[in-house]
Amino acid sequence: MDKVKYFNISIFLLAFCPLWAQESATIKVEPANLKMEIDEEQTIRAIVVDGEGHLIEERTVLYYSGKGLSVDSLGNITAHEPGDHQVIIISPDSAGDILRNEYVVQVAFPPLAKIEIKEIPQKIYAGTSFPVVIEVYDEKNFKREDVKVILSSSDPDVISFDSFHNLTAQKPGSCQIRAAVKGIESTMEVAVIANPVVKLEIKSDKQEARTGDVVHIEANAFDDKGNSINDIPIHYSFEGRSYDISTNASGLIKQDGRFVADEAGLYNITVTSGSYVARLSINILPRKVDRKIELVGSGLVSDKHTSDLWIWEGVDGRDYAVTGTWGADGTAYFWDVTDPANIIRIDSIQVDARTVNDVKVSEDGRICVISREGASNRKNGILILDVTNPSEVEIISTFTENLTGGVHNVFIYANHVYALSDGQKYYIINIEDPRDPVAVGKFELETPGHAIHDVWVEDGIAYSSNWQDGIQMVDVGNGIAGGSPSNPVQFASYNYPSGAHHATFPFTSPSTGKFYVLLGDEIFPHGLNLNGPNIAGGFLHFVDFTILDHPEEIARFEVPGAGTHNFWIDGETLYLAYYNGGVRVVDISGELMGDLYKQGREIAFILPSDPHGFVPNSPFTWGAQLHKGHIFYSDFNSGLWAAKLTPETPEDIKVETD
Amino acid sequence: MAQNYYVYVTAESEDEVAVVKFDGEQAKAVQTIPVGVWPTEIEGPHGITISPDGKYWYLTLAHGIPFGTLYKYSTETNEQLGKTTLGLFPASMQISKATGLLYCVNFNLHGDMVPSTVSVVDPETMTELKRITTGAMPHGSRISPDGTKHYSVAMMSGELFEIDALRLEVIRVLSLDDTADTEHMQHQNHAAYRSSAMDQAPGMKHSKVKPTWVIPHPQWNKVYVAGNGVDQVFEVDLSSWTVTNKFSTGKGPYNLEISPDGTKLVVTYKSEGATGVWDLKTGKELAKISNSRKVSHGIAIAPDNKFAFVSVEGIGGEPGAVDVIDLNELTLVATAEVGKQAGGIAFWKIEH
Repeated sequence: MDKVKYFNISIFLLAFCPLWAQESATIKVEPANLKMEIDEEQTIRAIVVDGEGHLIEERTVLYYSGKGLSVDSLGNITAHEPGDHQVIIISPDSAGDILRNEYVVQVAFPPLAKIEIKEIPQKIYAGTSFPVVIEVYDEKNFKREDVKVILSSSDPDVISFDSFHNLTAQKPGSCQIRAAVKGIESTMEVAVIANPVVKLEIKSDKQEARTGDVVHIEANAFDDKGNSINDIPIHYSFEGRSYDISTNASGLIKQDGRFVADEAGLYNITVTSGSYVARLSINILPRKVDRKIELVGSGLVSDKHTSDLWIWEGVDGRDYAVTGTWGADGTAYFWDVTDPANIIRIDSIQVDARTVNDVKVSEDGRICVISREGASNRKNGILILDVTNPSEVEIISTFTENLTGGVHNVFIYANHVYALSDGQKYYIINIEDPRDPVAVGKFELETPGHAIHDVWVEDGIAYSSNWQDGIQMVDVGNGIAGGSPSNPVQFASYNYPSGAHHATFPFTSPSTGKFYVLLGDEIFPHGLNLNGPNIAGGFLHFVDFTILDHPEEIARFEVPGAGTHNFWIDGETLYLAYYNGGVRVVDISGELMGDLYKQGREIAFILPSDPHGFVPNSPFTWGAQLHKGHIFYSDFNSGLWAAKLTPETPEDIKVETD
Repeated sequence: MAQNYYVYVTAESEDEVAVVKFDGEQAKAVQTIPVGVWPTEIEGPHGITISPDGKYWYLTLAHGIPFGTLYKYSTETNEQLGKTTLGLFPASMQISKATGLLYCVNFNLHGDMVPSTVSVVDPETMTELKRITTGAMPHGSRISPDGTKHYSVAMMSGELFEIDALRLEVIRVLSLDDTADTEHMQHQNHAAYRSSAMDQAPGMKHSKVKPTWVIPHPQWNKVYVAGNGVDQVFEVDLSSWTVTNKFSTGKGPYNLEISPDGTKLVVTYKSEGATGVWDLKTGKELAKISNSRKVSHGIAIAPDNKFAFVSVEGIGGEPGAVDVIDLNELTLVATAEVGKQAGGIAFWKIEH
C-alpha cells in the first residue's frame, strides 16, 4: 500500500477510534458473579469502560435494586431473601445515552436447621398404619417445603415406611426412626406394642339413604375381654356399584366415619385396623328433589347493564323491587312486582355515577340505600332514599365522608348502613336520622394488601368477604365478642387459597342445627365481554362453623362451565345467581358434605334470556331473592325477572284425568 | 403538508385506553384498547405516559385489591408486555431521560390522610425499585428537562416536592399554603374529603391551595403549580425555591402543560369546563376556551407547538372526549369522542 495512503488511513482510524470506543461504552462490574447468604453484606464496583476496556472516568454510576436485596450508592449490597435478584446499574447521561447493566446476585436459601417429626401417637399398635408428618426449618426459621425428607427405620421388621411417609407397625418391638435431608437428621425412639384387638365392629345410623345424605359410620375395636380400645387407628374406606350402568359409584368418606354418596347404588363400607376388618352395606337411592320452574314475568332493561336487586313489601302492603345499573349513567329503577307476571317500572333515580352496584332497602320498607362508583366529581359515597312511596322516590341525603373511593356494596341493618370504602374496609353509618347520617365505626384488616368485596349483616354479626383474606366474622351488636356498631370486634375467620372470595351468606340448618357459612367465588377465567356472552368460573364453598374455633370446609356446589355471584337462602333452599348458569335452586337440607351438585341436590335452574336485552340472549345472572314464594332475579344483560317452582308432587300420588 | 397527530388517552370509568388521531381537521378515536383484569369492577385507568423512544406506553390502573398497577404496552401492537404492583391509586408518571426510570405518584385519593409516596420503577424489567415518601395525595408527576429532578405536589398537604431522580431522595419541600393569597381562597366544601380522626395522621392538615399539578419550564429554571383550591397558578423559581409569581385563573385549575418552545402555558379549569392559554412572557391569559364537556382534565401539547390536546371527562353516562385546541388561533378545532371519564393523556407522535 502506498505509504501516504496508509498514513492517512491510520490517522483516520486513530481519530475515529475514540469516538467508536465511547459509543461502545459499557458498564463493567466486579466481581463478575456474586453469590451471597441471607443477611450477608458485600460490595460490588461498577465502572464504565469504553470499547477497548479503558475506564471512562466522567461517567456517574448509580445502583438500584428491587425486593430481595438492598444496595446503597456505593454498591454495598445486603441480601434479604433467597433467590436470584437484580441490581440495576445505570450510568445516566443528560443527552439520553443511558448505560445499564442488570447484575444478577444469587442469594442462597439458608442452610437447613432442624427436622420435626410429628403425629406419632403415644401407643403404636402392631399391624396399624398412619401417616407421619415431617416439618423442616432452616436457620432463619422458615418452614421449607422444597426439600424431600427420607424416613427410615433401624429395624424394618418392627417399623417400616413407604415413600409417602406412611408408617406401618409390623410387630412388637423397639427401634429408632430417622428423618434425614441434606445433612441434617432427627431421630426418635419408638416402641410397637402388641395389638390387643380381637374384634372390630361396625354400625351405621342408616341402612338406606339418598344421595347427598350424610351417613354416620361408627367403628369400635375390642380386646379379648370385651373392652373397647379407643386409641387404636381405624381406617374407613368404601367401594360401590351404581344402579346406572353408565355411571360409576362415587362419594366421600371421612376418617371420622362420615360418608356421603353422589350416585345411587349399593355401597360397601369397610373399616380396618391392623389385620381386622369389618364391613356393612348401605343402599343409596336417588335424591329426587328436582322440580319444574316456570318463568312468571320480567322487567326488561334493554339500554344498559343491570346490577343488583332488592325486593320488599312496601308500607302499603304491595311488593316492590329496586335494581341498579352498571357501567352506565347512574340510574336505579323501581318496580311494582305485586303481580310478578306483570312487573311494572314505576320510577327511577339518576345520580352522578357510572355504576350503582348495590341497592338495599330497610326492613320497614321505608329507606333505600344505593351505592355509587365512577362519579364524575369522584365523591361517590351512598344515597339514602325515601321509598315510602316507591312511585315517587325522593333523595333524603347523600353521604360521601370516607367513601369517595367508591362504594361497591352496602347493607342496612338496625338503623345502620354498612358501606364499603374503596374496596379496603367498611364504615358503619348511623341512619337513625336519615337526613343526617353519621359514621360511627369502621372495620379494616391489617394484613398486607387487604381488600374487601362485600358485607352481609345478620343477628348482629357482620360477615365480610375479603378476597384473599377470606371471611371475617365481626360482632357489631350480637354480643358474642362484645362488639357494637361503634366498636366492631372480629372473632372468627376462614380462608382458602384461591383468593377469590367474593360473597357470603350465613346459614343455620333448621334440620341439624349446624351453622354453615357459604362463601362464593367470583372468577373470570376468560375475561368479560361487555357486548357478548360470557363464561364465568368459581364455586360455592360451604364451611361448617358450628365450632367457631375449628371451621371445616365441608362441601361445595359447582356447576361446570359457569361461575357464582350472589345468593339467598330461605329455609333450607338456596337460590344462587350463577352468572352464565342462570339461577340455580339447591336443596341444602340435612347435614352437608361433599359435592352437592353431583349428589343431585339441584332442584331446578332457569336461564334468563331476552332477544331484546342489552346483550341479547346472554344469561348472566347477578342476584336472586325469594319473596312471597316467587324467585326474583336480576340479570346483567336483560333486567329483572320472576320465576316460581311448581309445587312438589309426592311420588305415590297419581293424578287421574278423565 | 398534512400531518397526523396521535395521542393516547385513558377513559377512567370505561376501563379503556383510546388512540386518538387528529389529521389537522378532524379528530377521531382510531383504536380502543380494553384494560384491567377485574371485569365487573371499575379499575380506573388514570395516568399514561409514552417512553422517550416512543416504543412503549405505560398506564396506571388506580384500583386494585387493593393496590393499583402499572402496565407496560407496546405502541406498535398495543399488547401488554409487563406489569408491576404499585401503591394505592397510582396516578401520573413520567420517565426520566437521564436515568431511564419511571417515576409515578401513589395518589391515594380515597385513602387515609397520611403521607403517600412516589414509586420509582425500572421500566425495562418492570421492577419497583423504591418508594419515596412525600405528602398526602401526591399528584402531577413531572421530570425536569435534564432528567435529574422529579417534581410532584401533595394535594392535601399543600406541598411541592423536589426529588433527586438519581439518588431517589427528597431534596426540597415548599409549603404552598404559606404563600397562598387568602383573597383568592375558595371556600371549598371539604366535607366530602373529611376524614374522621381515626383516618388522619397526627398533625395532618387540609391544604387550602390544593395543588394538583406541577410542570417544569423547558428552558427556564422554574416550575408552575396548579393551585386548584385558590384558582391560581404559582410560578416557583428553582434557584430561590420561592413563589415568584401567581396568575389568577379560571375556576379549579387542574392540569398544566407548557409548549415545548416555552412560550405558552395551557391550564385546564376543571370546575368550569374550560381551558386557558397563557403567554408566559407577559403573564397574561390569551384565551379561555370552553371545552366540549363540563369537566376538563389533562393536557398534551404537540412537539411542533401547534396544538393542545385536552381530555374532558363528561358526567354520568356522557362519553368522554379529547378536544383539540389550535394554539395559534386559540380556538377549539376538533373533538373526538372516547370512553367515559377521559383523563390521563399523552402525546405519541406526528406522522407525515
